[in-house]
Amino acid sequence: MSGNSSLYKYTWRLPLLIWQAAFFVVPLIFLVVMSFWLVKNYRMQPDFVLKNWDKMFSRGYFWDAYWLTLGRAALASVIVSLIAFPASFALAFKVSDTSRRWAIFFLIIPFFTSYLVRVYAWQVILAEQGVINALFGTMGIGPVTMLNSGFGAMIGYLTLTLPLVVILQTFSLAAVDRNLIEAAWNLGCGRARTILSVIVPSAKIGLILGAVFCFILSFGDFVAPYYLGGSKPPTLSILIIDTTKSGQQWPRAAVVAICMIVTLFTVAFAAIALAYGKPRK
Amino acid sequence: MRAALLLYVGAVFVFVFAPIVASVVFSFNSDRFPSIPLGSFTLNWYETAFADDSPIWEAFRNSLIVSVCAATLSTLIGFATAYTDYRYGFRFKAGYIALALLPPTVPLIILALAMLAWLSQLGLSGTLTGIVVAHTVLGAPFAMAVTRLRLSQMDPSLEAAAWNLGASEWGAMRHVVLPFCLPAIISAFCLTAAVSFDEFAVAWFVSGLNKTVPVAILEILQGNVDPQINAIGTVVFLTSMALVTVAQLLLMAKGRKA
Amino acid sequence: MKSLIKPTRRAVLAGTAAVLTTPYLNRAWAADPVEINMLAWYGHGEPDMVEEFEAMHNVKFNSKYYAGGDNMLALIAQSPPGTYDVILSDGEFVQQLNAAGYIEEMDADDYDFDDFFPEFQNFPGHWKGDELWSVMVRYGLLGVSFNTDVVSHKEAMSYGVLWDEKLKGKVGHFDWHLPSLGQISLYNGNDDPSPFDIDEAAWEKLQETTMSLRPQVGGFFDYGGTFSNLKNGDMHAMCGIGDWITGVLRKDGAPVDSVIPEEGGIQWTESYSIGKGTDKGEIIRDFIQYMLSPKGQVRSIQMAAYPGLSPTKSGWIAIQQENHAEAVRSGLIGGVDNSPIKMIQEGRIHFRDIPQQQDLEDWNDFWSEYKNA
Repeated sequence: MSGNSSLYKYTWRLPLLIWQAAFFVVPLIFLVVMSFWLVKNYRMQPDFVLKNWDKMFSRGYFWDAYWLTLGRAALASVIVSLIAFPASFALAFKVSDTSRRWAIFFLIIPFFTSYLVRVYAWQVILAEQGVINALFGTMGIGPVTMLNSGFGAMIGYLTLTLPLVVILQTFSLAAVDRNLIEAAWNLGCGRARTILSVIVPSAKIGLILGAVFCFILSFGDFVAPYYLGGSKPPTLSILIIDTTKSGQQWPRAAVVAICMIVTLFTVAFAAIALAYGKPRK
Repeated sequence: MRAALLLYVGAVFVFVFAPIVASVVFSFNSDRFPSIPLGSFTLNWYETAFADDSPIWEAFRNSLIVSVCAATLSTLIGFATAYTDYRYGFRFKAGYIALALLPPTVPLIILALAMLAWLSQLGLSGTLTGIVVAHTVLGAPFAMAVTRLRLSQMDPSLEAAAWNLGASEWGAMRHVVLPFCLPAIISAFCLTAAVSFDEFAVAWFVSGLNKTVPVAILEILQGNVDPQINAIGTVVFLTSMALVTVAQLLLMAKGRKA
Repeated sequence: MKSLIKPTRRAVLAGTAAVLTTPYLNRAWAADPVEINMLAWYGHGEPDMVEEFEAMHNVKFNSKYYAGGDNMLALIAQSPPGTYDVILSDGEFVQQLNAAGYIEEMDADDYDFDDFFPEFQNFPGHWKGDELWSVMVRYGLLGVSFNTDVVSHKEAMSYGVLWDEKLKGKVGHFDWHLPSLGQISLYNGNDDPSPFDIDEAAWEKLQETTMSLRPQVGGFFDYGGTFSNLKNGDMHAMCGIGDWITGVLRKDGAPVDSVIPEEGGIQWTESYSIGKGTDKGEIIRDFIQYMLSPKGQVRSIQMAAYPGLSPTKSGWIAIQQENHAEAVRSGLIGGVDNSPIKMIQEGRIHFRDIPQQQDLEDWNDFWSEYKNA
């Protein structure tokens, strides 16, 4: 058995290594390399200049977009987590196992619809002359501008991330040891205290994971701020698209992308450290 | 209190499904910029989108090719990785698994840019092969997760029993592990196919003239803003749902058997 | 249990397979026409433009659409050489295409330039000395585009209306620097020689003036977004566009219009070039001849994606006969007030161009800055 064991072992071990190395790691490394290249007349030339980094970092609009995107994504992860929590709580504790499975099944459905089509539908629904304003009209409320604003973009982020966050939160809340909750009740804790002191800390991992995924998705999304937010102001992702599709400035887009990756990894690691960190006491 | 919470859950579901339902409804609506009251019922948008010479057919063909190829590769790599994780421990295993699970953490737009640049160097930019490659990177982690889940349900002594009975490692794989994992493998295939089918960011950056359906939708969104989008979206939705339902049924059926 | 599950599963698989494949099989995979790859602004490869030609010559157009000359150059640069057989370009970008080696020289004898109005026979940018690199097919005018319920035609006769208090947050930009900056340049009075040929001081002032418009801006939109936001009433005025957008919306009954203000308007010009390395040069030549013919011009004028004006005299006659209302609306009648030729002769129209004293990159960079403000 040990004779062909190595062949067997490596047959299974290598595919991932080869594929991810060639098509995941290398492109990202190439991104870094490319950020030092030069663009002349819409063509790239291998080089080693700091010009792209210099240019991007010295541009006011880069930093504006950076902080804006960071702030928006952070806000989105907080808002989505808060909005999702009561629903996840209900699904974890207030419904039967079967109902919960059906609820999760239904929440998976949006993943198989096109995000683009859903955003387009929201555009129609939220427009000045759209469905919601028509309803407002019958109630006598003047047309409310919902598109081309932070509100519109937030609706987009919700559309993108809410199902995922609810699912993650529900799983982790449902896994909370019921004995702990009973113990809290027995010790006289009120509902709110039980939730805050017992349930949330126990489900910490899932809750934080949900928020992190929401952050990652919102940070990188361009569809919501572009089609529902009016590109006003543009996020880092829109900046990448502008730089690539209009300027052919891939090296500069690479600079933006690298800054985004670094930020994301930092946030992700910090969050995971928070999630898996030792409990206080 | 319970009632209030359940109402809240209902509201969340309404929010999540509102755009989907609206899209399906609008796909049959005559107005180009729909509002209340609705216009008349029409199949016009479906006819335009799926007319004989519509580019959507080409896009569907491309999407099908890409998602089948990407799903196949993803499932193969995912299975291999899951099995490696299940069976072996080795140095740097944590790093290995991290490599496997890292892709979903990188925003699609960055991956798209990196892929575009790298594939251009390889001369694969603008080809369906390029999209297949990128989608496999995206899908492999999902395939790996699904298969790993199934493997964790397998009694570890099953494989050992097979070896004791004289089967080689390959034999055990063929007669014990694979059949057990079959529902997960099919599930992973359908899942990664669906993911590939709907993916637009990377496909948009990497594709040229060979569009997939999501890229076609994006181009209509950027161009004509036509309710055709709703018609296409509804059909794509039904196709994806069919794939997922098949996967679920298979998983449930086999699960009960084992 | 076993017998219940097995046939059910097989039946499900078979049924699903049948349902999924039927629509794909039903379609007749027709006999192979010659494929022509086109790179163009949205709509040029659609049936309403090419179906007659496709049927006559058994060809099929595959189109890749772009929005903006910078976008076009980027797309072509990131595709393998020879990807595109025919390229529709904005006039001012043709020499950029040429300099980068993307297009082939054309034979002037193949095309009926005598039918062109004299103003267009030697269109700048299409010719390099005696060499012909691109053939003009259609053009249009950019001015003030607005919602007629909110802004009157009189008010719209100056770009200054964009700064009006009642339009706060309701002014949109087509997301491309060139037309918007060109219009504001005209507002600043840079009409001699051209709003695009300005010195350093004028460029500084242009940036200043543009920045002052920022508080009025409601959003930056791509082609589709421009349509929907004007139609939906989310935007009441748009900078950087003209009849090519409002013309389509008017057909749908929207209360929008475009006018050429006192400060002057800008002309966009589209022309076809032959992609370098293509082996379909002859068919493309035939296609361009078709587009210049009265039949082709009528289609071009009434293109579903966005209307255009005709550079040929026979085109004007053809549209007057075919669709007189459209001819009146677009001014494609000799001597009328809104005739583009008359306006060009009066000096009210300036051909759009790439910046002459700054780099395209400078203008593009400023645009990013402006969007982020």
